[in-house]
Amino acid sequence: MIDWFAFVLVLVSALVGACVVVSAYSLGIRLLTISGRTPVVTPAEFTDAITIVTPAEIRKAEKQAAKAARKSPLTDGQKRLALVGAYASFALSAIAVLVGVYLIIGEHLFKIFS
Amino acid sequence: MDLTLIVVLVIALALFFDFTNGFHDTANAMATPIATGALRPKVAVALAAILNLVGAFLSTEVAKTISGGIIKEGDGGVLITPQLIFAGLIGAVVWNMVTWLLGLPSSSSHALFGGLIGAAIVGAGLGAVDFAVVVSKVILPAILAPLTAGLIAYLATKLAYAITRRYDGKPDGRSGFRFAQIFSSSLVALAHGTNDAQKTMGVITLTLVAAGLQSSGSEVQTWVIVTCAIAIALGTYMGGWRIIRTLGTGLTDVKPAQGFAAETATAATILASSHVGFALSTTQVASGSVIGSGLGRRGSKVRWRTAGRIGIGWLLTLPAAGAVGAIAAAIALLGPVGVILDAVVGAGVIIGIFMLSQRSEVSASNVTSEVADSGRAVKIKRNPKPKGKVSK
Repeated sequence: MIDWFAFVLVLVSALVGACVVVSAYSLGIRLLTISGRTPVVTPAEFTDAITIVTPAEIRKAEKQAAKAARKSPLTDGQKRLALVGAYASFALSAIAVLVGVYLIIGEHLFKIFS
Repeated sequence: MDLTLIVVLVIALALFFDFTNGFHDTANAMATPIATGALRPKVAVALAAILNLVGAFLSTEVAKTISGGIIKEGDGGVLITPQLIFAGLIGAVVWNMVTWLLGLPSSSSHALFGGLIGAAIVGAGLGAVDFAVVVSKVILPAILAPLTAGLIAYLATKLAYAITRRYDGKPDGRSGFRFAQIFSSSLVALAHGTNDAQKTMGVITLTLVAAGLQSSGSEVQTWVIVTCAIAIALGTYMGGWRIIRTLGTGLTDVKPAQGFAAETATAATILASSHVGFALSTTQVASGSVIGSGLGRRGSKVRWRTAGRIGIGWLLTLPAAGAVGAIAAAIALLGPVGVILDAVVGAGVIIGIFMLSQRSEVSASNVTSEVADSGRAVKIKRNPKPKGKVSK
């Protein structure tokens, strides 16, 4: 007998889990940018799949981010709020991952350690 | 032939298969973070090895599907003998090595199932295989899981881009997704351990049950879990060196936001599937995610020819490995001489292919990971114009 419910369960749980994690993290980046701290994360190592970024270009990106932050029409209070929101979003993303992993393997972990 | 000897042979071969599985699949977990520059290749490989080791300890559902589900258990235990499992493994390993050498897309998992099923049918008849379990836990997941992962990756990529999109031309901070990729790719490696290491655990458990050394329906033994975990972690680590050596030949254009979405979709799908005992191919799920996330980017189109080639490779794996497994089983049924013949031919093929791979030049055709390959199935225009309104 084919257990169709298991397929629906996999689709729904994976869909909800992945979308919550990705949305929360994206929102975190958006808010971080609004708060004037645009992240500039450079590649750890260049492969031919990435357009090579020179140190000058990295400095330029950082300058652009700083300029955008200076020109932001938001007040300091609003920026601080955005920053808090950004960290809250990142935390939500991390918690969603941990809860998801716990739901799947938590029971098994209990068995191992008990 | 001495029963203990054949059991030892099967376990050794199963662990070798586990090793090649890790060797083959490092690229799947770590192709996207290396492609976007989220992790240094050496760090990525070490991380993948450690997390595969950890993942192997976290679940045994998939192992149970193999040891207690696919091959039917009769009144006096399973109908399959250790000799037949040996033949099935030979089929899986040979098919895996051949596709690896030819650069054909394939799946270690399906090679394993194909080999086992082929050997079981030849050796013990159609009644030895529980086709209902094969369909519901192997074949249907094989078709549905990559589609599921692809759909999720597509939606997640759309979400990630929509949420961070800025129409005013100011920096959007999307390079920040690189940081998140460290975690999402780690999760993929962990998920890989929960699904792939268990396939070998299942085979070893099946062998122990078949040899009467373990009662049917009992749990996977601890030493089996430990050895399988170590074998897959070692394979992952060794396989990584191949990737480092060939870096840049098989990678496609992946952006950090897209890579993060793809990895999250892959990890979520594999973990959820491991939980319900679907023995799926991690390669296929990761490929589905890469294609889905590519389509989620603006200005993308599917290259149907490449996608079709990958699809045909997948469809071919199960029956082809089954045929090799069936031939090996037919030889093994000749008695001890047959098993020895199988072992010699199998070892010959493995050593021969290994020598060939050492001699031939490393090129994109024989080292490319299937996941990177599937990235090429999606064509993305460079810097497409946004469809939304642009405020000046």
